[in-house]
Formats: sequence, structure tokens, C-alpha cells
Amino acid sequence: MARVGVFVCFCGANIADFVDVPKVVEEAKRIREVKFAIDYKYMCSDPGQQQIRDAITQYRLTSIVVAACSPRMHEKTFRKALSDAGMNPYLLEVANIREHSSWVHQKDKKAATEKASDLVRMAVAKSIANEQLHEISVPVTKRALVIGGGIAGIQAALDIADARIPVVLVEKSPSIGGKMAQLDETFPTLDCSQCILTPKMVDVASHPYIELIPYAEVLELEGFVGNYKAKIRKKASYVNFKTCTGCGTCWQKCPVKVPNEYNMGIDKRKAIYTPFPQAVPNKPVIDAAHCTMLTKGKCGICAKVCEKGSIDYKMQDEIIEREIGAVVVATGYDLWDPKPYEEYGVGRFKDIITSLEFERMVSANGPTNGVPVRPSDGKVPKNVVFIKCIGSRDEAKGIEYCSKICCMYTTKHTILLHHKVHDSHAYVFYMDIRAAGKGYEEFVKKAQVDTAATYLRGRVSKIYKKGDKLIVRGEDAQIGQVVEVVADLVVLATAVIPPKDNPDLARLLGVSYDKYGYMSEAHPKLRPVETAKAGIFLAGCTQAPKDIPDTVAQASACAAKVCGIFSGDTMKKDPMISTVNNEYCTGCQNCVKVCPYGAIVTEEVPMGHGSKEMRTVAKINEGVCQGCGSCVAVCRSMAISLAGFTDLQIINEIVSI
Amino acid sequence: MKKVTYFPGCSAHGTSEEFDMTVKMVMKSLDVQMEEIPDWNCCGATSAHSLSETLAYALPLRNLVLAEKLDNATMAIPCASCYQRLKVTKVHMDDNPELARKINSTVIDEGTYKGKVAVKSMLQYCYEDIGLEAIKSKVTKSLAGMKLACYYGCLLTRPKNITHFDSPEYPMSMDHIVEALGAKATEFDYKTECCGASFSISDTEVVINLSSQILEMARESGAHAIVVACPLCQSNLDMRQPDIEKHTGKKINLPIFYFTQLMALAFGMSQKDMMFNKHIVPVEGALANIGKIEPEPEKVKKPRKAVEAESEVE
Repeated sequence: MARVGVFVCFCGANIADFVDVPKVVEEAKRIREVKFAIDYKYMCSDPGQQQIRDAITQYRLTSIVVAACSPRMHEKTFRKALSDAGMNPYLLEVANIREHSSWVHQKDKKAATEKASDLVRMAVAKSIANEQLHEISVPVTKRALVIGGGIAGIQAALDIADARIPVVLVEKSPSIGGKMAQLDETFPTLDCSQCILTPKMVDVASHPYIELIPYAEVLELEGFVGNYKAKIRKKASYVNFKTCTGCGTCWQKCPVKVPNEYNMGIDKRKAIYTPFPQAVPNKPVIDAAHCTMLTKGKCGICAKVCEKGSIDYKMQDEIIEREIGAVVVATGYDLWDPKPYEEYGVGRFKDIITSLEFERMVSANGPTNGVPVRPSDGKVPKNVVFIKCIGSRDEAKGIEYCSKICCMYTTKHTILLHHKVHDSHAYVFYMDIRAAGKGYEEFVKKAQVDTAATYLRGRVSKIYKKGDKLIVRGEDAQIGQVVEVVADLVVLATAVIPPKDNPDLARLLGVSYDKYGYMSEAHPKLRPVETAKAGIFLAGCTQAPKDIPDTVAQASACAAKVCGIFSGDTMKKDPMISTVNNEYCTGCQNCVKVCPYGAIVTEEVPMGHGSKEMRTVAKINEGVCQGCGSCVAVCRSMAISLAGFTDLQIINEIVSI
Repeated sequence: MKKVTYFPGCSAHGTSEEFDMTVKMVMKSLDVQMEEIPDWNCCGATSAHSLSETLAYALPLRNLVLAEKLDNATMAIPCASCYQRLKVTKVHMDDNPELARKINSTVIDEGTYKGKVAVKSMLQYCYEDIGLEAIKSKVTKSLAGMKLACYYGCLLTRPKNITHFDSPEYPMSMDHIVEALGAKATEFDYKTECCGASFSISDTEVVINLSSQILEMARESGAHAIVVACPLCQSNLDMRQPDIEKHTGKKINLPIFYFTQLMALAFGMSQKDMMFNKHIVPVEGALANIGKIEPEPEKVKKPRKAVEAESEVE
């Protein structure tokens, strides 16, 4: 026979003002299984908890109902009280009579009291079927995988490694550095991007706790938090990194020229190349699509000139495996292709470029030695028109969201233009100036004064050519007129978009992503770093457009989360997870389809005792299961049960009212 | 022999008689039989769609229903406004069967709309259904020497989700056609700007302003003449040109041809039938360029290393 204790809280005035608490206690006492019921001003306080502890021993209680605030608030507190009294903590049930009754029924005390009594009755009925549950302990592999070697991945890897936790950093291109390595100066301080980034890149390469795997991609991720296994493909570089000294003779002598991605195709690189001089690792790879030795079997110059004999044309992709405990995804962003802006003549006019192309030109290590030039004739432009929101905030042609960084980098570009070409003039067409951030508004204001740039609020409707000039026609909404600006160069601030293969990676990792392809955080406000899948975290633009400070902050937050997981040798996990009764499971696998965490797999079991014939049943990975109950709802043979929320418990609740 | 349903529209019997005439000549030469919709009516432009939605749909829908009685898959329309009204109606009716039933009830005496006839502008028909190769094969008198600015106006390719033809901002179909005739199409950024359309009557100043910019840009592009595929564009650019010249004080002197007139010319047909005498701006000066071919500047070939030339990707 169950012996239930009921503890009803006043919560000061929060509950007592709108619910007749003594009446609720009185009602509770009428329930057959309730052997003890009492109220108190603050049940969560120490004297309140003491009453629970005392009653447990005095009345030999078998389960406890606390009628108070939301279990999200104090379930842990009361579970601890049970533990302290020597009782299994999962024999607790919380009836939420504050959020679910007193707060929402403030105008009708009688009804609120009745509802509170009902909630208590339900909790009592449920608690009778409560079982003793025990926390699950999961072993942890203390090694983190960081996917992406831009500033987000670099920061996360360094922070984790500094805590003496091994990190595997996988970067798809031949060098780490990402987009930040392409930038000249950074807003709002005009710090030299290379100067603040490259030391960090070197730190990554030399860190004893970081294994850097460049020119590679993650193929598979199996397992669950603390116990993942990643399959990684190292793309064939055709260069033996162990013997290569990075002397550079091979790329000096290579006769094949290919548009240089690092410089946005403005100049050429060779078929054997390092992306940029400060690359980490500073070892070249052969671009297999363009190397004539690999495509046609002709040339072989690099192998001839390499003194170390590091060139290996027969090298194959290599698949390696790493056991890891947590993952940080830092895949960065891409830029939107402005081709749909046909009215601007994008693609027809050479002197319309994107912001990143402009950035490369004004960069000290850029293809034009830091001087912006017109792609059509190589002349230095005097009048430069910057157009913001190309693809951003544009439901018709691009995407709905604001890319967040364009206002600031366009401001920076007006300054850089002013620095590099003193007699130039910048025109900026904008929708709004969004300068929310530390020092950002001040930066914009100062730039507007210093550069005397002309800011025109409105959209550009057309760009056409007159002689060798581009005529930019747009609206100046502040004077309500159409204006035309004669431009030597037009710079489009194209939208930030997620990398094209982000959804593929998200599916591979078992992480959800939004309609644009950004990976989704577990909660937009309170869990902005975690994904819904335990042990996988997001840093930087893979989650949403953000600038460098925000990216670095999020990357460090990821590191803190990873270190938290790795703080013990095992991980404790809530026991409220699903289990499958193989006797009932028909193997329909509906549960596999609905599980949002990929926690359900299938296994083969014998048809009957001693039978050699096998059948398929569902198997729940207790490390991954989050106890959401979706599988229970879809299981048509009632084979799945969620601990703490068994069918019997739920039915008891329903029957009790 | 190809067959196509023909919706001439009111201007074909008035201001753009030469368009109608040359369309018929060219189609005959290309072995296309045109069947005019019997008892067709006004498309409603531009008054109907400014006043009543029902009327704006019902007038074109009657034509669409009548067109279905002829057994042709496609209807070709020379006038850009007529094309626009009929195409908008077709797209909206096909997308919304409920609306189609409602509008159809007003013209139910003519039959039930089934949506089986494709609606195309004459330009689109020539470009897509006849094709550049067929056009090229009929050329007996190349227009080489002529530089032409192809002007599409605002309706032929817009809006994109209605017309589904060519680029809404920088179309090239007419450019390709005149190049098939041997002429050179100039780079003309104003090819889809508005000419002022029917403001020609109600607020002529608007047309003088807008059309003068189009003419000036065409002149700057180096064109000897402008080619159009819309009666209203033709009349605005041609008829208002003397006013524009007076207004700006600049001589323009750009004849405005229908693309079918130039096709007829290149096909070696008699100039008399092309009704050049109906033009306000005389055409002779522009036509005199035919045959005057400028020598192409000789390209200096840069010697390149063999390997680079083979694998350089631009």
C-alpha cells in the first residue's frame, strides 16, 4: 500500500493570495493513499525541506508530492531533500499550482483552489506508480572535434586545448584562417586582421593538445555525447607534409595558372599552391582539377624541382577515425551571389564588384598591393558607390534576414578607400544603418565625418554605363527624389549565407538547421551555444551571421561547455529515458523516424528463446535519449516506455480527475 | 507548315499597320500559317484594368476562349499591351480555377475556358518557335553594316513570373534576331526603360522626358536605328522624336523599326510593302549603312606558354 505525503506551499503570497492553501491540504487528506499533508509558507526553504525529511521517516512515506511552483524551478531542490532523507529522489512528484493555477486564475479564487486540488490529486495518483530510478553514468572520451578552422574554430580549439583537453581541428581548405584571413582591417578599431589572427593560427599549429587536420572533411559521426566516433577524409594533397619544408620552389616553377580563391579570383595562383603566404600549415597542396600531371599526365615539374622528393602524384584520399567526446561546429559562412540583380548589370559590368573583392584589393597583401583599381581598365577609382543590403532584407531576390555585418564593414570600406585614395569620394546607398555593438555607432559617426562620404538613404534601381563610367540611379528617400551618381566603381555588400553544404553536415551530425541552412541552437536565448543534440555545439556564422567579437565570444562559450562535459571521467545523465520491451516491439521503426535526436537504432534479436531466426527491434541509445517521449506516442504496440512517465502513471493521472 | 493563332489587336489596324503587314509577310516567307481569331475584341488595355478587375479579365478571357476554337497550340500577339493583358489573364486563370469559373461566367456564351493555348508575344514566337536558324536561313540580303539598339520596353519580359521569357532587365532575344539578320546589336542599357506609354496623350511631357533619354542612350550606344516589338514604343519614339528634338535642342534622327520590318528587309522583300513611308523619322539614312562594314581591328595574339593556355580557366 502506497503512503503518500503532500506538501503544499504558500509561496509567500504568490499562491496563498489566489488559492485557499489549507483547503487544498484538507482535500489532499481525503485521498486514501495520502498519509500526511501539510502546508508551509516557503516549502523550498530549509525549514520547509526539513518538514519533508522528517515526515518521510516519521510516516514511512513511499512517495512525495510537493504542490508549489514549476518543477523547472525547484524539482532538483526537492529531489535532494528526498535523497537526504534516504529516499530515492525520483519518487518525487511536483504539482505546479503556481504557474498553472494561482498566477493564471487570479480573478477566481474558488476555481483556482479547485484546480490546485485537482493538480494535487493527479500528482498523488501519478506518484503511486513512481518507480525508483537511478542516474545513468556514461563514460567520456576526453577529446573534442572542431569542424572548421576560421576564427571561430581557432578560438574554440585554443580554449579547449589550453584546458589540456586534446582537440582534433578539421579544416576543409589547405590552410586555417577562414574568411578573417582575407580581411585587411577589422571594425570598429581598424586592427590589422592578419596581425591579430596569424599568431593564433601559429598557436594552433604548435599547440601540443591540438591535432590539426587540414584539407579534410568529416564524413560520419556515430555515437552519443562523450562517446562519438568521427570518420574524417583527408583529401589527397599530393605533397608529403612530413618531408615538405614549404620552400616554395614548386609553386614558383609550376606553369599552370588558376584563379586565386584567396584573392576572389582577381589574380592567379598556381596549380600547386598554398592559399596565402601566411598559411598554416605552410605546406602546398596540388589542385587536382587543374594540375596537368594529374589530368593529362604531362608536366611533372614540381616533382623535378622538389629537393626533398615530397611530391607524390599517386597519393590517395585517406580515411581516418577519431574517438571524441564533444563537437564544436564552426563552418562559417559564404557570400550570396548577386547575379539576380540584373538591373544593376551584375556580370555585364566589370566595375561592379563585391565587398570581399574590394577588401582583397585594399589589403596590404592583396593582388593590387592595397590600392583599389577598376577591373575594366586598372585605373584607380575616384567615385566609389557602395550599395548595402544586396540580397539581405530582400524577400524578392535574396533572403529576408539582415546579414548584420555589412553596415559596419561598408563603413570600414569608406575609411579604407579614403586612406588609400585621398582624392576619392564614397557614396553609400543604405536602407538603415545598423550599428548596434560596442563602439560601433561611434565608428560610423566618426567615419562619416572623417571621410565625408555621402550617405543616401534608398535603394538603387538601376546601374547603366555611360562612356567608361557607371551611372547609379537610386532613390534618395530623404529628399524624395531619384538621384544619379556617376561612379568609377560600384561595391555590392552581398548577404551572408550559410555554406552550401551546411545542411548536409547538419544531417550527418544529427543537428537541426533552419530554412536558410544555418544550424539551429537549442534555445534562442538561454541555450545559444548548444544544439538539441547533446555534446554538439555551435560557434560563429554556422548558426547565424555575426561579426568577429560575437563569433569569438561564442567560440569561447563552446569551449566552456566542452570543458564542462569533460570535467569528470563519467557523465551523469537523467534516468528519465525510453526503454523498449522487445517482447512487444514489432520492428515497425516509426520511433526511429520521429526521434529528434537520432537516439533509436535497430538490433536483431532471436525470434524466441533459443531460436536461430532473428527479427528486428528498436534499440534506444541511453546516452543520446533526451526523454522527450515522441517514440512512446508513435509506438503502436505500446512497446516503448518512458521512465518517470509510464503509461500507468499517465493513466493514473487521468483517472484521478 | 507551322500554324499559329494570330491576335492582331487594335493598333495593327491603325498606328502599327506596318507591323501587321510585315508580320504577315515574314510569317508567309517562314512557312507559318496565321489564323486570326474570329470576332476578336479589344484586350481592355489600359483603361479596363485601371477600372474593373472583372472587366480587365473578362475582355482578354473572351479572346482566349475564342482562340481555343482554333486548333493551334500557340497564339502570337504583336502588340505588347495586348500580350500583357492576355498573358496576365491566362496565368491568373490557370492558377486560380475558382476565379476562372467566375470570370468565365460573364462570357459563357462563347464557351468554357480550358487554358490550352499558349500565349506568346510575336517576338517570343519568332525567337522560341521559329528559331534563329530558320530566320538565318531566309536571309538573302544581310543587314551587315547596320548597328541597331534593340528596345524591348517595359512589358515584353515583365513581370518575370508572368512572362517567363528572357531577362526582365537585360533581355537579348531581339538582339539575337537582328544579329541573325546580319546587323550588329549595340550594348544598350536602356532597353527596358519605360517610354511613357499611353501618357503620350494625357501628359505628353512625361513621354518627351522618358523617350528622350531612351533615344539619347541609343544614340550614344552607336546605333543607326532603334528596333522595337511594341506599337506604342514605336509611336512614342518615332512620332514624338521631332518634339523631343525641339525640346532638347539636339538632333537625334534615329528611325524606329519594327523587328519584322527588318526581317522582311533582310529576307529580300520589296521595301514598298514595308511601309517605311509611314515613319515620321526618315529611314533612308540608317538604311544607307547596310553594306558599309567597318574593318574589324586586328587582334594581336599574345604568345602564351602551351601549358597555361591549355588549362587556364577563366
